[in-house]
Amino acid sequence: MANIFFELKQACYSYLGKFPALRGVDLTVEQGAKVAVIGANGTGKSTLLAMLDALIFPDRGSVKAFGRNLDEKMLNDADFSRVFRRRVGLVFQNPDTQLFCPTVKEDIIFGPLQLRVRSSDVAKRLEKVSTELKLTALLDRSPYQLSIGEKKKVAIASVLAIQPEVLLLDEPTAGLDPQTTRDIIDILIAENRSGTTLVTATHDLHIVEEIADTVHIFGEEKNIIHSAPPEEVLSDQQFLQSHNLIHIHRHRHKDAGVSHAHQHDVKHHR
Amino acid sequence: MKDNRFIERSLMGAVSFLKDSVFADEYAGKKGFLQARDPRVKVAAILLLVLCVLFSREIAFIAAIYLICLLLAVCSSIRLPFFLGRTWLFIPVFALFIAIPSIFSILTPGERLSVFKIGNLSLSVSRQGLAGAAIFFSRVLVSVSLCVLLSLTTRHYALLKVLRIFRVPQVFVMTLGMCYRYIFLFIGIIQDTYTAIKSRCGYVLSSVKGQKIVAWNIATLWQRSYRMQNQIYDAMLSRGYSGEVHILDELRAGGKDIVFLAGAAFIFLFILWRTYFLN
Repeated sequence: MANIFFELKQACYSYLGKFPALRGVDLTVEQGAKVAVIGANGTGKSTLLAMLDALIFPDRGSVKAFGRNLDEKMLNDADFSRVFRRRVGLVFQNPDTQLFCPTVKEDIIFGPLQLRVRSSDVAKRLEKVSTELKLTALLDRSPYQLSIGEKKKVAIASVLAIQPEVLLLDEPTAGLDPQTTRDIIDILIAENRSGTTLVTATHDLHIVEEIADTVHIFGEEKNIIHSAPPEEVLSDQQFLQSHNLIHIHRHRHKDAGVSHAHQHDVKHHR
Repeated sequence: MKDNRFIERSLMGAVSFLKDSVFADEYAGKKGFLQARDPRVKVAAILLLVLCVLFSREIAFIAAIYLICLLLAVCSSIRLPFFLGRTWLFIPVFALFIAIPSIFSILTPGERLSVFKIGNLSLSVSRQGLAGAAIFFSRVLVSVSLCVLLSLTTRHYALLKVLRIFRVPQVFVMTLGMCYRYIFLFIGIIQDTYTAIKSRCGYVLSSVKGQKIVAWNIATLWQRSYRMQNQIYDAMLSRGYSGEVHILDELRAGGKDIVFLAGAAFIFLFILWRTYFLN
C-alpha cells in the first residue's frame, strides 16, 4: 500500500473569516507522486499550498501530514515543527518574498541553518545545490541584483538545500523565458526521480505532462472539480476552455488566419 | 511654463544615491589591504582609530590619522577622488557650518586674530575659537572618513555579521539587513509606478496634483509592504525560522589581521598616553 504523505478531508479556509479561499477540498498525495494543481486565478491553488505547508490551518475539515493531524498547536511544538519543516519545502510564487537575506549564499543556507543542520553539512549542501542549479557565480550577489529567472532558481535552491521529501511549488515557471522554464522543469524531474514528492500549482499547461502524474483542477467554487491523468485533462479542450484554462486565440497558420482554442503548447506551432 | 518635475528629480536623486551604494559594494569585492582583513578585526581597528580622533586634542595627531586613513584607502584600491568626494560632502561641510559661529570671540573669548565689521556690529575671530572649530571639524572629517572607509571595504552582510558578534540584538541586525534588501525592491516599485503615471499623465503636472500622486504612491507602497511583510514571515517560517536566526560563522583572523589590530591599538594607547598622562 502506498505511503500517504498528505490527506485533506473537506478542508475549508477563509481569509479574515469572511473571504472563502477553499471550500471542502478532498485531496490525497502519496509518497513520490507528481501532482499538479491547475485552475484559474483566485481558485485557491496558493491557499492549498500554504495549507499543505502548515502556514494556515483549515477552518473546517482536516489536513493530515505524514499520518498526523496538522493544527496550530502541533506546529508550536518546536520538535515537531523542525521535523515537519525538514520534510516539506514551499517555493513561493513571488521570489522576492522568499529571498530576504543579504546574499544568495545566505538565502540558500538559511533553511538548513535554522533547522540545525551541522555546519559541515550546510557547506556540502550549498556546494551541491549551487553546482546543480548553476548558481556558483551568483553566491555573493544580493538577490535584488538578479533577473527574475535567476531569482526563481535561487528560491528553488533555497528550498532544495533543506533536502525536503515534499516540494511544494507555486507557479514555478510563471513569467520565465523558455530556456529557464526548461531548466526548472529538468530540476524538478530530477528531484522527483530521486524520490521527492512534487505538488505544483501552475497555469502553464504545457509543463503539466512532465511534472505531474495526476492533475487536480480547481474551479470557481474553490474546490477540486476534476482529477485525472494529464493526458486526459489536456485532451478535453471544451472542459479546459469552460474553466478559463485555455482561450480562443486567433493566429496565422501558413496563409490562413485561424481561430481556435489554444493552450500555448510549443508543439502546436511546428 | 513652471517646471514642476520635483517628484521626478527627488526620485531620480534617491535612485542614484542607492545605485551609488551598489557601486560601493563593488569596492568591497576588489582585492586590497582592507578587503583582505577579517571584518571583526577591521571593525575593532577602525573603532580604535575613531577613538584616537575623539581623544586627541592636537590637530597634528588628527591629521596623522587622516593620512593613515588615506593611505589605507589607496592600499585598498579605492580611487582618492571618489573617496574624497564621498567624505568631504554633507557631514563635514555641515559640521563646518555648525563650527563657524564658535570662531568668533562672542562665543569663544580669547586672543583676537582679526576683526570684521558688519554694519555697526564688530566681530572678532579668536585664536581659541579658531583652534576649537578646527579640532571639531577635523574630528568630524576624520571620523566620517574612517567609517566610510570601513563601509566601502566591507560587504554589508559581513558588517551585519560583525554587529551580531559584538552582541548587537538579533532583531536590530536582521531588521537592518532586511531594510537594505527591500529598499531596492521598493525603489523599483516607486520608479515603475512613477513611469506608469508619467505614461498616462505626461511630464507636466500641477504641484497640487503632483502632491496627491505622491500621497497615493506612499499609501499604495505602504499597503504593498504590509502585505509583503506577512508573506516574508511565512517564507521564513516555511524554512524553519523559530524566533532566533542562526548564522554560519565563517570568519577567520590571520597573522596580518592581528598585526593590523595591534598597530591600531598602539596608536590608540600612544595618543592616550601623550594626551592624558605625559602632561
